[in-house]
Amino acid sequence: MSLHPYFFSIVSVALALSLAFLWRRAPRSFTAYPEASDGEASVPSGWDPLTSELSVRIFNREDSDFVTRTATWRISQSFRAERTALALQWLLEVRRHVYFLMKAHRRAARRDPDLDPVSELRLGIDFLLFQITSRVLYLVIWLIGPLHAAALVGYSLKLAAALRNMTEDLVTGGTRVAADLLDNESETKNRAASV
Amino acid sequence: MQGELKYENVETARRDLENRTLAKIEGNFSRLVYLASLRDYNTGEYNHEGLANRFTEPLARRAIAACHRDVFSRLVLCSVEELVEQLELYIRSNGSAFAEFARVWRKLQPYTVTVPMECSPLTARFFAVNVRTALAILLYRQAPAHPDPLSSSLRP
Repeated sequence: MSLHPYFFSIVSVALALSLAFLWRRAPRSFTAYPEASDGEASVPSGWDPLTSELSVRIFNREDSDFVTRTATWRISQSFRAERTALALQWLLEVRRHVYFLMKAHRRAARRDPDLDPVSELRLGIDFLLFQITSRVLYLVIWLIGPLHAAALVGYSLKLAAALRNMTEDLVTGGTRVAADLLDNESETKNRAASV
Repeated sequence: MQGELKYENVETARRDLENRTLAKIEGNFSRLVYLASLRDYNTGEYNHEGLANRFTEPLARRAIAACHRDVFSRLVLCSVEELVEQLELYIRSNGSAFAEFARVWRKLQPYTVTVPMECSPLTARFFAVNVRTALAILLYRQAPAHPDPLSSSLRP
């Protein structure tokens, strides 16, 4: 009697339960961070440009291979553990940034009279895919380390870049619309005062 | 027009600092330590009398900050292998005894205050891990021919 189906079922259930657990846990990291005020439609600042470039080093074998070749087993183990922790922290930074972009986008979208439902639907699907991919990536990194998770990083980054481009275009447009509305309001008040 | 002039002045001050001072310092790690040493730990502002005399004080500060960010970026994005070489160069240029240097650096971790102000906690942590690893590798190389492989550690 083959044990493979049973083993596969146990692993699948464990993976599904882990994903469900991470899905419930992860949003707390997002709500821990302060939000922009409701009056602002600007993209949140504070994103360190180096953060994106760090991924090249974190998920690359080069450093790990060098440390393994030239140092003791204990140093290599410590280094790999530190790099795993850094990879997880990096991923949380990326997700937090995308989350803030989406919030700013939703605020700007409420003021946009020319909102395109197709673009919004596409953005929503991309955001959902990004959330799924990044959560799977978190689990993979946590389980087997950043080196084996490298392939998924590229896809998550592309999705994050697409989301960033789409939200920045809309936020810039939304800011212009808000400025126009304010100008119109003050003109109306001035005219009323002069009468 | 005024904005362009300001940018040009910062760039001129920056080139002046690079050509007159940084070019004479060997290695990016040494340059990083030097640039960080120009910063007041209480106010976070950079001070360089010579540069401030040639340009204005605000311009000098912006130029130093730009150089600091640039040198730090190069170090944080380089490989651990390159960082080991840079650290070795720094130790040699210092003239300190390696064992004493390693002991003090493992205890005080002075490399943690060399990061620029705008640096994110993630980037600062990444840099610190790399420097600790580079230091551990250099220590291991200095150890006797057949050291106990479990005796070296990244932990201070």
